[in-house]
Amino acid sequence: MRGLPVYILLAAAALALAGADRLNAYWLHVAIIAMYYGILAASWSLLAGYVGLFSLSHTAFASIGGYTSALLVKWLGIPVLVGMGAGLVMCGVLGGAIGWVCLRMSGPYLAIFTLAFSEIVRITISTEDDVTAGMAGLHTAPLFQSATRLPYFYAAFALLAVSLLGMGLLVRSRWGLFLRAIREDEQAAGASGVAVARFRILAFAIASGFAGLAGGFYAHYIGIMTPGVGDLDEMAKLVVMTVIGGMERLPTAVGGAFVLEVLLEVLRGFGQWRLPLFGVLLLLTMRFARNGLLTPLWIPFVRLGETRVPPLPAARDVPQKDSAA
Amino acid sequence: MSQGAELVRGVGLVKRFGGIVANDAVDLVVAQGDLVGLIGPNGSGKTTLINVLTGHLDPDGGEVLVRGRRVSGRPSHVYAGMGVARTFQLTQLFGRMTVLENMLVPGLTRPHSRWDEVTRRARGYLEFLSLSDVAQLPARNLSGGQQKLLELGRCLMLEPAVLFLDEPFAGVHPRLRDELVARIRELHQGGRTFVVVDHDMESILRISRRLVVMARGSKIADGEPAVVRADQNVLAAYAGL
Repeated sequence: MRGLPVYILLAAAALALAGADRLNAYWLHVAIIAMYYGILAASWSLLAGYVGLFSLSHTAFASIGGYTSALLVKWLGIPVLVGMGAGLVMCGVLGGAIGWVCLRMSGPYLAIFTLAFSEIVRITISTEDDVTAGMAGLHTAPLFQSATRLPYFYAAFALLAVSLLGMGLLVRSRWGLFLRAIREDEQAAGASGVAVARFRILAFAIASGFAGLAGGFYAHYIGIMTPGVGDLDEMAKLVVMTVIGGMERLPTAVGGAFVLEVLLEVLRGFGQWRLPLFGVLLLLTMRFARNGLLTPLWIPFVRLGETRVPPLPAARDVPQKDSAA
Repeated sequence: MSQGAELVRGVGLVKRFGGIVANDAVDLVVAQGDLVGLIGPNGSGKTTLINVLTGHLDPDGGEVLVRGRRVSGRPSHVYAGMGVARTFQLTQLFGRMTVLENMLVPGLTRPHSRWDEVTRRARGYLEFLSLSDVAQLPARNLSGGQQKLLELGRCLMLEPAVLFLDEPFAGVHPRLRDELVARIRELHQGGRTFVVVDHDMESILRISRRLVVMARGSKIADGEPAVVRADQNVLAAYAGL
């Protein structure tokens, strides 16, 4: 993302920040939750879109991050921010371990493995009443002692910005190129000198770490953690958001999360019928627009800066055949 | 046969797939400056041998040494890092990445590499391989022959000591095949070592200095092309006797 689109996005962000205090509590809440999903969608797109690792344990990691932070704050009395940091580290380490175990898996095998992992997490949290308060929900310490949601809005905004910046730098670095090479062909990536195992584990660790960070924030914003945060419905919602937005780019995934979260609220009058509608949207996306149903919305913003290499005309002064040999 | 410093040595390599013995105690030494043609009927174990010698398959027996260091059992990127590059029988590119990005990946895996230097080198090789005009296209949009050239280019970005090319001429238009042969010759004269597997005997004989023949998982001949071609075992293997 370079040039004009960046300024447009920055301007939109500035407007959002400046206008936040005019939103009522309800829409402020919607915006905060949308940003929570934005971090999850971006980090899942890093894993599924960039590296091609279709993991279904992403919301389970958000749940682990939330519970880790909430429990550490409760037991040890550490500051909430430190708890959130611990949740991030916990999920990074656990995600790396899952990545290591899944090294030789891809496609449906990886999806089934991570699905099983996320069910284990959900059921463990549900049944370990003594520790997690189970289905009753674990009350968590608030991140801010504030009467309004405004500080949470700014905090969510900052977390989303930091996450996008961090992951954006990663995907635009040489590591990002290696991750995409792994997605395209692991064998060829290995033959090109890419340490495939190391980068797969790294991608799992980083994506899970950001999921844990989002989960930690959610725990201390909502005030109560339930096993539902990491259940399959949530994962399905995240997949729909990311795929409809466009899973192969971080900002488009975030855009998908925003649009769907807002739509979910706007269409609340339709009750549960909203959800089949999103199912239909997902079907349409997979059939007609695999790069994301909302892609036409983003194209002006993403077309620039696809590679960090300038276009070819500058190549006229390269060494000719003899010297290259 | 081989005069230069030893680059890759396979000692007693055995590879089985279920009941099939694809490589049966194969020894092969590739030395600096070699241009080896590796031939044999279908199913004789040529590709398996390349897969084992480049770290894409672990041998069930024997070992692989690169520059005297035992590397069998290590992942393929370690081989690449030690200057052992390869192409695949069915071209394996990073299809949705651009041609230039395909070239950058191996270049940027080298320690202390810089984007600008790697990009400059990549463009030089693309020019050398007549691929400059398509540098910004997704690799999957290239023709079959261009894809073979790009795969060769991707190998070159590793600045390898030895290149294993698995059927580089298969399905390539004769004119592009001539281009490929010319490039391999040029690169060989520039000091690169090659092992080329192909069924296209004519092209192999045009470039090889040394011919290795495989049949039923074993190496049955290894020597100068003229000598090997007259070998009774080789004739028998090719006649299916």
